[in-house]
Amino acid sequence: MVANNLSFVRALVATNLKATLALRSAFVIQVVFMALNNFTFFVFWWALMVRVTTLRGWNLSDIELLFGIVAAAFGLTVTLAGGVRHLGRLIDDGALDTLLTQPKSVLVHALGMRAQPSGFGDLISGLIFVAWAGHISWRTMPIVMVVIVASALIFVACGIVFFSLAFWLGRVETVATQLWELLVTFSLYPEPLFGGALRLVLFTLLPAGFVGYLPVRILRAPSFASVATLLLVAIAYLCAAVLLFDRGLRRYSSGSRFTTFG
Amino acid sequence: MTAAQLAKYVAFSRISATEARREPNELYGRMAFFVVILGVFSSLWRAVSEAGMPLAADPKSLVWYLAATEWILLSAPPIHVEIQEAIRRGDVVYRLGHPVSYVAAEFARGLGLLAVRAPFLGVTAFVCAFAFTRWTPPLKALLIVVPFGFAASALITALYLAIGLLAFWLQDVAPIYWVWQKLMFVLGGLMLPLEVYPEFIQHAAVFTPFPSLLAAPASFVLGTSLMTPGVLARNLILWSGATAFAVSWMFRRVVSDVTINGG
Repeated sequence: MVANNLSFVRALVATNLKATLALRSAFVIQVVFMALNNFTFFVFWWALMVRVTTLRGWNLSDIELLFGIVAAAFGLTVTLAGGVRHLGRLIDDGALDTLLTQPKSVLVHALGMRAQPSGFGDLISGLIFVAWAGHISWRTMPIVMVVIVASALIFVACGIVFFSLAFWLGRVETVATQLWELLVTFSLYPEPLFGGALRLVLFTLLPAGFVGYLPVRILRAPSFASVATLLLVAIAYLCAAVLLFDRGLRRYSSGSRFTTFG
Repeated sequence: MTAAQLAKYVAFSRISATEARREPNELYGRMAFFVVILGVFSSLWRAVSEAGMPLAADPKSLVWYLAATEWILLSAPPIHVEIQEAIRRGDVVYRLGHPVSYVAAEFARGLGLLAVRAPFLGVTAFVCAFAFTRWTPPLKALLIVVPFGFAASALITALYLAIGLLAFWLQDVAPIYWVWQKLMFVLGGLMLPLEVYPEFIQHAAVFTPFPSLLAAPASFVLGTSLMTPGVLARNLILWSGATAFAVSWMFRRVVSDVTINGG
């Protein structure tokens, strides 16, 4: 079952990549401009941290690391599971019909339906930020990859949860997108800025803490326990998201679509 | 433009304003984002002040500065998205034959949306900034910020229109928008007043419309205004003229291309 799904995912990713690369100039423009976009945004932090060397224990290299991990994880998410941001509309429009008749997992298919070329720009610029922070070497590379993948899994899980609310609430596109953007926004600012109840929210309902803060802590001081914690959390969020989607699918009402799909 | 022609465009504005009031979800989303971003930055400025402020302003006025810049930016409706979709679908061809200017009609629609968003977001900005700082800037400063901020939002809307028209050539204008938006962040001083940036960035900013759109109107709440109201008004008029010229030139080129290709 898992092997079957994995080979399906591989085929989906390969097809998406081919489709994305077919429009080569559009692809290059999106990648380059997204990377430029990320570097320009970071000018804010460079300008600030030149004058203020530490912010409650965080220095520029920590912020580069945070930004790099989140950008790379986000890039990985929208490249490999770009359909997550369209789930709400698919559900609300009854457009899952075409996937329900396919012999593969509906969720995997829906997630892999779209690849966002700009995600490569995020991924590349993210890795450059991580390298700038001084965390890319042959020794640290496996941990960097593990934390980025775990962070991306949490992004995907949150996307599934936010956009699957459409099963119960109908048109939730705007709200779900806002929740998704809030997750990204909170992930990009240093952990010590947030305290009290908000901190609890950032490690539960809107898990920016697991998307960005814990991976930064892991790369600053790697330990088996913290890596295992991050992986377990990522798997737990993903399982919860899949369960929620399956629950929602039972409530799904057809859009009576008669289209060919392949 | 005659009164009858003007009435047509006023009707476009009124219709889009009515639609915006009927579908307030996006506006609520922007209000929520406003609350979060001001909360994050009030916390950031507190942390910065603990580490030693890098500029003369105090954390409270910096929160108000951000409230003003974000209000200006978030009030401007991103009309380039809909223009891009109309161009991609080909719907724009049917609009070109209407007895109104497509560009002027889109701008009028944008102004209608702006008229709904600006007051709501303005109140949100004021309430949130006050809640986070327990302080308000002098009334005189706020009275200067509001009209200039509204004018700047209108100019940003016109610039979005120009970005949208680029879809005739590029199909997808998102990459242009991302970079334009981030240039606005930096050269416009969205999150940090321009004086914090290195000198070469400050010099580069002078040759762009961005400081007049965000940093200059918002700097009145800091008490150290970037330019006098007279100079700001002159700059906004000059950049509005340049934008109108650019949009009209682009649209003429587009229409001739569409005609040559057979519509």
